[in-house]
Amino acid sequence: MSVSANDSSKMNLRAFLAKYSVLIAFAAIVIFFAVASPTFLTPANLFNVLVNNVVMLAIVALGLTIVISSGGIDLSVGVSVDMASMVFVMLLATGYGGVVGVGGGLGAALIVGILNAILITRLNISPFLATLGVLFIGQSTQQLATSGGQPIYLTSGYAADQFNAIARTDLFGVPTPVIVLVVVAVAVHVLLHRSVFGRYVQAMGAQPGVAWYSGIRVPRELSMVHVLCALLAGVTGILLSATVKSYVPLSGNAFLLDAIGATFIGTTLSRERKPSVIGTLLGVLLLAIVKNGLLLVGWNFYWQQVGIGVLVFLVLAASFGLRRASH
Amino acid sequence: MQTAKREIAVSMTDISKRFGPVRALENANLQIARGSILGLVGQNGAGKSTIIKVLAGIIKPDSGTIVINGETVTSLSPASVEKLGVHFIHQDRLLVPTATVGEAVFLGHEIGFGPFVSRRAMERKAADLLKRFFGMELPAGTLVKDLTTAQQKVVQITRALAQKASVLVLDEPTAALVKREVDSLFDVLRRLRDDGIAVVFISHYMQEIEKLCDRVTVMRNGTDVGTVDPRETSIDAIISMMIARDVGEMFPKRSVTLGAPVLEVANLRLGGGFENIGFNVRAGEIVGLTGLLGSGAKEIVQCLFGLKTADGGSITVEGKQLALSTPVKAVRDGIAMLPEDRRAHGVALGLSVRENISLASLRRYSKSGLVILNSENQAVDGLIKELSIKTPHRDALVRELSGGNQQKVAIAKWLSCQSRVYVLDEPTVAVDVGAKVEIYNLLNRLSGEGAAILLLSSDLLELVGVCDRVLVVYRGRLAGTFSGPSMNSDSLLAASSGARSNADGMAA
Repeated sequence: MSVSANDSSKMNLRAFLAKYSVLIAFAAIVIFFAVASPTFLTPANLFNVLVNNVVMLAIVALGLTIVISSGGIDLSVGVSVDMASMVFVMLLATGYGGVVGVGGGLGAALIVGILNAILITRLNISPFLATLGVLFIGQSTQQLATSGGQPIYLTSGYAADQFNAIARTDLFGVPTPVIVLVVVAVAVHVLLHRSVFGRYVQAMGAQPGVAWYSGIRVPRELSMVHVLCALLAGVTGILLSATVKSYVPLSGNAFLLDAIGATFIGTTLSRERKPSVIGTLLGVLLLAIVKNGLLLVGWNFYWQQVGIGVLVFLVLAASFGLRRASH
Repeated sequence: MQTAKREIAVSMTDISKRFGPVRALENANLQIARGSILGLVGQNGAGKSTIIKVLAGIIKPDSGTIVINGETVTSLSPASVEKLGVHFIHQDRLLVPTATVGEAVFLGHEIGFGPFVSRRAMERKAADLLKRFFGMELPAGTLVKDLTTAQQKVVQITRALAQKASVLVLDEPTAALVKREVDSLFDVLRRLRDDGIAVVFISHYMQEIEKLCDRVTVMRNGTDVGTVDPRETSIDAIISMMIARDVGEMFPKRSVTLGAPVLEVANLRLGGGFENIGFNVRAGEIVGLTGLLGSGAKEIVQCLFGLKTADGGSITVEGKQLALSTPVKAVRDGIAMLPEDRRAHGVALGLSVRENISLASLRRYSKSGLVILNSENQAVDGLIKELSIKTPHRDALVRELSGGNQQKVAIAKWLSCQSRVYVLDEPTVAVDVGAKVEIYNLLNRLSGEGAAILLLSSDLLELVGVCDRVLVVYRGRLAGTFSGPSMNSDSLLAASSGARSNADGMAA
């Protein structure tokens, strides 16, 4: 769509602002907090943000990015996080080793994913309702399994060593959880943007009827999408338990809304508003920095939520508004 | 030319509109007379939808004069134009599906007291209007979504009449209608004309224009190239005004030598659909398939692509018997399908030209599950060139392409698959004349390369012009096969309606 010469520079500026609204917001927020809080830009704080706020949320959000690309949603990611965390911690508590624990935890998340896949592809329930149902079931299951929601703490002994082997080790100074995130991000990027499977996912998201009429095995690919998402959420569950050396029932739910928010903030990066790995990672960084920054300037937890809500709203509104104006 | 003396309801003169470097309209004129039905025709991009949008107040023209009911209008908005009595029935239904008929008729002009809406009064008045204007009786409180498309059109027209419309503009109103509904819609429009309302009828279907309109304004390249009386001017002459090209090329001739049978269908049966269907399509052959709605012709095509599973009989491609239970299998076995609903099943509007073209054949351009972009790009560029798909570049979204070019992308998808059998389901519905010719050329090319083509169409002229043979289905059975001199629209129509005597005229 072209524009006449006299206001083209204005239009280009708007188009530029629309395209990079996330990056601009990101830079503005970093500058704001750097000025407002002397500790914000210190390496120690940034490291803390990365390990504690970014890694776990990012892995969940990347799983959700695959689901949202396919045109669906997974409201049960928190349950996958919790189930992996619960089984992992329970196995360690009964004396099993780290490998069995991690395997069991991921297995539990896998079951959540398979359940979602069956509900969606076999029973033809919409992803929203199917995963909402699994969310309810998963929450009750945890409460039933922990006598009404009792946390399990394993802060010392063999189990604690196993936790530390995951959360407190590093490779050339890079913490293991960060390495896990890098591996996951690269893998999901290749899968979503370079592989045949990823192309099918995009096609299902863009127009499921066309995917079906093109000979794509839609039910199979969709099952894979939901299983992958649950598995990635399970990875976060393992990292979460290893970091806090415990399993706290229903703690996974905290990831759901942040992950959805991060993914949708990320979609403003692309012209077609498609989810992408880079976009989601930027969305996660944005949320993490705002949370940390607000904490540093002395806002309490409840006001942080308000701050994030306003931020999400502003980024999306600015992006939509500027884009409409630039067309 | 007695129509020219009629009172002019809307007069648009010297309307120009540019979008950047693109001239959408240049000194275009449109005169809409009271008590007459004006056809508006032109290829996609000729400017007919732009000039209608200008009249609707959606697009602001750069220059030109608009006079509505004798009053020169300087600025139009969708709301102000309705107040002037000009109403639009857009192609996409714009009724709320969960509203009742009464609510739909009085949408925006609810009857009631202050903030309260009297649903009962609206239902009663809507029922009165429907009965008075159209003799149509619907149970009170019927929901819009339970109406047929034709009934919804009538409800939309009633809404316009309830607000005392003097000019009614209908954009492709028959696209989703079956023959009988088209006829009753035409009756409605003729009655409105006789009541003195000015009707504008936009359509790609020339037979409809000929049948219904008193005058036709032809647009080409953003301007009106002439207004004629369709009863005195032949369809071919109107089409050649639209494309400025000899209409003799509409159905390009071809010469191919037919090869061995590629698709063989024997004894095919589908409960409630059809039975005892047997035919074959040879390499290079274009076989037409036609039948009235509900005749089973559509279901035959669906069975060939695995969208429905036949209850009995066999489908064989190049000697191999197929078990077609899903499109997945059909695609793997070399069957290509050009579906009727292009936007829902043919091309993904939100994906790029490249992604659409390679979608069904991605395995060819991949290694260990990863797409090899170079080989994909090469193949896609080749097909874009081969089919002369008009797209800025291979990564442009298909949404940005014209309907005809979207259809070419859908065909390119199967060329990329190197399919052997092409099943086409109404491939030229809602495609303009120029694009139609290009699609016919493509079919010829495909057949020249030895593909077996089965063309389901209800456009009898198209079947006669394009096919080597036409199979007619009537009530679930093959009612006849026509080729050579016996293949003409009269014989096809007679066979598809199950009788020779047929007073209904042409199927649109």
